[in-house]
Amino acid sequence: MKEFNYLRADTLSEALEMLEEFQGNVKVLAAGTDLVVRLKGDMVKEENILDISRIKELKGIFTENGIIHILPLTTHTEILEYPDMKTAAQILYDACKSVGSPQIRNRGTLGGNVANASPAGDTIPALFVQEAKLKLKSKSGERVISVEDFFTGPGRTVLKPDELLVDIYFPAMSDDEVGFFKKLGQRNALAISVVSVAAKLKKSTEPNKFDKAFVAFGSVAPTVIRGNRVENALMDSVVDSREKIRYIAQLAWREVSPISDVRASLKYRQDMSINLLYEGLLELYKNGWNRRS
Amino acid sequence: MKEIEISLTVNNKPYKLSVPANITLLDVLREKLKLTGTKEGCGKGECGACTVMFNGRSANSCLILAPQADGAEVITIEGLGNLENMHPIQEAFVEEGAIQCGFCTPGMEMSSFYLLTKNPNPTEEEIREGISGNLCRCTGYMKIIKAIEKASQKLNEKH
Ligand SMILES: Cc1cc2nc3c(=O)[nH]c(=O)nc-3n(C[C@H](O)[C@H](O)[C@H](O)COP(=O)(O)OP(=O)(O)OC[C@H]3O[C@@H](n4cnc5c(N)ncnc54)[C@H](O)[C@@H]3O)c2cc1C
Ligand code: FES
Ligand code: FES
Repeated sequence: MKEFNYLRADTLSEALEMLEEFQGNVKVLAAGTDLVVRLKGDMVKEENILDISRIKELKGIFTENGIIHILPLTTHTEILEYPDMKTAAQILYDACKSVGSPQIRNRGTLGGNVANASPAGDTIPALFVQEAKLKLKSKSGERVISVEDFFTGPGRTVLKPDELLVDIYFPAMSDDEVGFFKKLGQRNALAISVVSVAAKLKKSTEPNKFDKAFVAFGSVAPTVIRGNRVENALMDSVVDSREKIRYIAQLAWREVSPISDVRASLKYRQDMSINLLYEGLLELYKNGWNRRS
Repeated sequence: MKEIEISLTVNNKPYKLSVPANITLLDVLREKLKLTGTKEGCGKGECGACTVMFNGRSANSCLILAPQADGAEVITIEGLGNLENMHPIQEAFVEEGAIQCGFCTPGMEMSSFYLLTKNPNPTEEEIREGISGNLCRCTGYMKIIKAIEKASQKLNEKH
């Protein structure tokens, strides 16, 4: 493994202090399930590694005025074990469940998954459709941005060199909202997503109609993306047949601009994002647009 | 490289060590403490051969930097049991013939230990999920699943 200078912050203010001091030449370490692999592969240029994993202020889950806050050092397992997550944050719950293996979920953090900015990061499409906001903090101040505005490319974000991701929050799902997260990997466990889809629909008072629709695709573009055409079609139609769902899902073809790589070809990714979306919508439709029990 | 002082508990024994920051908990266990039961396969979190209990949860020790283990409670396969005093999981793996080359076995048993601690009566589906972070190139998994079912019965009888 590459040599580096190890720094450890025990409080948030210590961490922000060190980030400012070593600005540009410091890499943040949470659990390290991404970063340690990169350090072993000599893929980290920074000479200082700042371990934030012991900062208590950055760990935990709480709800305030209907908003669920998940602090960045919370692990995937902790999210899965938290009471009510399965209903109040069903889409994110399903995404966390699909991450890696028990060992990876026990260590890997939500903040690390987001900040790593992989187009295949499983929690990211879920956070897109759950309308999540991110709080970024530095010694000189803090700002809140929508999760969609965070990513600028594979592994690239708007995070400034002295900033830390300190909070991830979104409204708890209400009874009239349904959704899903679906992922296709090359095998069941330990698979990086070949494609993934997340969706959230707010039901209208009329049957088979939706007041709001959110759809996001993973692994089909340099960052996770929203599917605006699909969303508009879902809001403009009476979605009352298999044929209509198929038609709407096929609109995804125009949204996605995947690359061919070792894991899958472009054509396969396009077809699979359509299929996953179709499958997810059809399951909800067959269940009367109700949540699965 | 500058060394860092760490204290940790491994199999209920406290240790104080001086280590470079760029080695992993797996290196500490194998090289410094000579606990070679824990294996290194891929070194990347993919095979599970290096699985240990880390602060009460299963983890890939190949992905934990040594300084991150400061203050941690670790249990390795040596802490599960030994020849004189085998853990029911170890007995079940032997009895069911769930071991061929044995390279995956320590990690597989640590994942089984974590699974059975959380869920004393897992279904076959839950067992498959519980060992989904562990690869075995020899057995085809069926005997391992049988062994975990048997271990679950043994543990439930003990209580
Ligand atoms: C075998 C294996 C399987 C995996 N499977 C999946 C999978 O199925 N799906 C998936 O999405 N991911 C998967 N991953 C990737 C990884 O486990 C997750 O992304 C995990 O959530 C990362 O969290 P971490 O705490 O380990 O991050 P770290 O490795 O500690 O950090 C990741 C990045 O985020 C930055 N960072 C972390 N926290 C902050 C913060 N608070 N503020 C600013 N920057 C921060 C770090 O600087 C680093 O660049 C897998 C990894 C492995 C090794
Ligand atoms: S050696 Fe750690 S998972 Fe393979
Ligand atoms: S027994 Fe050989 S790898 Fe599992």
